Amino acid sequence: MFKDPDFAKKLRNQKSLLLLSIPFVLYVLVFNYAPLFGWIMAFQKYKPRDGFIHSQFIGIENFKLLFRGNEFLYCVRNTLAMGVINLVLGTICPIVFAILLSEFRFNIGKKFVQTISYLPHFLSMIILTGIVFDVLSMENGMLNNFLIGIGVIDKPIQWLAESKYFWWIVGFANRWKETGWDSIIYLAAITSINPDLYEAASIDGAGRLSRIWHITLPGLKPTILILLIMNVGNVLNVGFELQYLLGNDLVKSVAETIDIYVLNYGISKSNYSLGVAAGIFKSVVSIILVFIANTSAKAMGEESLY
Amino acid sequence: MKRLKRAAAALMAMAMVVGMASCGGFGKKDEQKTETVKTADGKEVEVKVFSAFFAVPGNKVDDGNVVQNKIAEKIGAKCEMEWLTGQTAEEAIGVMIAGDEYPDFVDASSGMKSMVDAGAFIAIDDYWDDYPNIKNFYTDAEWNSIRAEDGHVYIIPQFGKTWEKDTTCVHNDEAFWIQTRVLKWANYPKIETLDEYFDLIERYIEANPKMPDGTPNIGYEILCDDWRYFCLENAPFFLDGYPNDGCCIVDRETHQAIDYNTTDTAKRYFKKLNEEYKKGIVDPETFTMKYDAYISKLSTGRVCGMVDQHWDFNDAELAIKANGKLDDCTYVPVGITIDKGVEEHWHTNPALDVSNGIGITKSCKDIEGAMQFMNDLLDPEILTLRNWGIEGVNYNKDENGIFTRTDEMRNNANDQTYINKNLCPYAYFPNYSNGMDHDGKNGCDANHQATEFYESLNDEIKECFDAYGVKTYVEMLNEAPENEAWYPMWSYSNALTTETDEGMVWTEMATVKHEYLPQVCIAEDFDAAWDKYLSEYKKRCDVDGTLLPAFNKEIQRRIDVAAGK
Repeated sequence: MFKDPDFAKKLRNQKSLLLLSIPFVLYVLVFNYAPLFGWIMAFQKYKPRDGFIHSQFIGIENFKLLFRGNEFLYCVRNTLAMGVINLVLGTICPIVFAILLSEFRFNIGKKFVQTISYLPHFLSMIILTGIVFDVLSMENGMLNNFLIGIGVIDKPIQWLAESKYFWWIVGFANRWKETGWDSIIYLAAITSINPDLYEAASIDGAGRLSRIWHITLPGLKPTILILLIMNVGNVLNVGFELQYLLGNDLVKSVAETIDIYVLNYGISKSNYSLGVAAGIFKSVVSIILVFIANTSAKAMGEESLY
Repeated sequence: MKRLKRAAAALMAMAMVVGMASCGGFGKKDEQKTETVKTADGKEVEVKVFSAFFAVPGNKVDDGNVVQNKIAEKIGAKCEMEWLTGQTAEEAIGVMIAGDEYPDFVDASSGMKSMVDAGAFIAIDDYWDDYPNIKNFYTDAEWNSIRAEDGHVYIIPQFGKTWEKDTTCVHNDEAFWIQTRVLKWANYPKIETLDEYFDLIERYIEANPKMPDGTPNIGYEILCDDWRYFCLENAPFFLDGYPNDGCCIVDRETHQAIDYNTTDTAKRYFKKLNEEYKKGIVDPETFTMKYDAYISKLSTGRVCGMVDQHWDFNDAELAIKANGKLDDCTYVPVGITIDKGVEEHWHTNPALDVSNGIGITKSCKDIEGAMQFMNDLLDPEILTLRNWGIEGVNYNKDENGIFTRTDEMRNNANDQTYINKNLCPYAYFPNYSNGMDHDGKNGCDANHQATEFYESLNDEIKECFDAYGVKTYVEMLNEAPENEAWYPMWSYSNALTTETDEGMVWTEMATVKHEYLPQVCIAEDFDAAWDKYLSEYKKRCDVDGTLLPAFNKEIQRRIDVAAGK
């Protein structure tokens, strides 16, 4: 390979770029690839005292155990459901928000709204859940007060006690936190659209809506697709903090995610093997999802990740 | 290009610095940490600083805590203590085991078994010959019951050790608690049954829907957050007149374990909760509450009653006391049962709990020093410092050697900020936490000194106690009989892991109860919800076939050990 003169030249030319990328490659190797070694635990009856070497190998027993009861299946369902809600809301909201912002004429107002909108991103989850608890509270909670005020309900609803609301509460809490932040990348993409196009369109008599429809959205399409593909791979990474902190025994069957399951069995009940098995299952599903998304994007002749 | 190069170099340099910093942390590993402490007369002494983690919630003492430094000055060592925050004990301990690094001392609470299994503790009995205070802390028979399966002693249970005779004035355990203002309003009636208890609260709430400041009163709270759901689930065996064995009822005649979850009493208890929930006496938000929300609700003084362990809501009661305007909102225990005529057994004598204790970990660099530290903490002079504080500051000594406190000293002892800054009981290190001080005259702390204790109460509590003709919280309840040989069975169930069949059933049982009991309490149709719960319970947990036989075996084992077999 190094005999190829072109390659060597390229290498020399991009020396500094390569140098720059070293820390990030190292980061990925150390934090994402090295831990894969631990997957061996999933096929063992792992005991910390015995270590990887002396623990007993038991084949796929752990995976069988995983699917024996309903608990893990519920976790998969909940993770998928919340992941899809997250994906859909998380794609639509920032795009709409970014477009609305970019149509803002009054510049100071625009900056103001943008800054405020991404502040929640910097809140920790525990603060966020505190706010959610307050908003949804039965005693003077904002949402209940509002709904009673406009006459939709006549007595406060206990939002966090009913399973049917839980996924949506998590979804919207996430949106409140991240919409502003996520819209930054779309705003940047909008700025890079050639202004001549807008000018030409308005000369041709295109109104605001048709300019958005025919210029802004097509201009955003590559960005949207790339982000979508990447986010599809993250569908199962709905995290566990919100669900863990907002959940309670009444909504447990809809609140537990794969990550909570891993935490629960892997760490709390020190059944590391079962926890790792659940983690592997999650990774495999995530890879399949990315693969499907990428292939279909390619098939449609659109931007793709690889 | 040049700029890029420079940026790259800067990045690399940064990565190196970060890398070296973290390696540096690993580098100086084998030295015991020390610190200089300034003594009262201005001298500086160097003391060893140990670290400890207790997998229970607690209050971290401030840096430069007065009593901590005083003890350090005397024994040449101190310990920085971390407590559980925002995690369960199993999670915190699990993370430690996974990382294989520990503080010098650990009390793993319900993660104890995992710690021992992971080989994280050193065997204390290999070292204890030079440390008589530790070795003599328990009798040989007691040590034998603490030994792990391999015959070693890895932990020292800190509590339940009595010096001379038990003198406790507080009921630190579980009870149905009720605010004194409720009892006062009804002119201090005798409350004996579950129905009477809720009937009183109902009538009180009807007559007094609001606090003086206008916030609505809450009739009853049920804490149901993670492991603390005992506040919901374990009342049935108490209501049947059995002591807190935690995981089962043990029949006193046949010595057989009985499942308390499915008794008629359990059904009646949950039906009652269900009724009260529908009537609005139980806080509608009760099942979505986390522990901190519960404590903050209790701290406002709005909550008339609940089931809880006193140590679990002690923080809330301290806040109520510190408020100054809520003196009639502190709690007293009422010893209720399901029907009149059942002998209640809420209060029990201290018992050795072999499932919890403090151990020295293999990460400790100075095991001898750590043993010396624990040994010194059991010195009579240090014990008084830990439990009472400093003479002339936290208590006075009269001419007969009896400890008394001024009002200011009492208020200080109830003020969390003051406590953090000044007092350091080293609560989770071995302590003679019941009974007498080693001087043979005083109680081991203010809560164990009957005269001082009564004087330290506020007028509302005194009035209540006078009305019932008692002087202490303990007297509000029946006097505790001798502990049975098998008591407490929870020290067995706490140590169950998912590696055994009975452990699996025990875990599954908790899962089912966590899921269904709150639903049973709020169900529109109680009977249907109860039947659904029972059928699910029976389907998923083989209690009769697996769990109870295991309990029976353990009961018999303990009876045999006590009989010297």
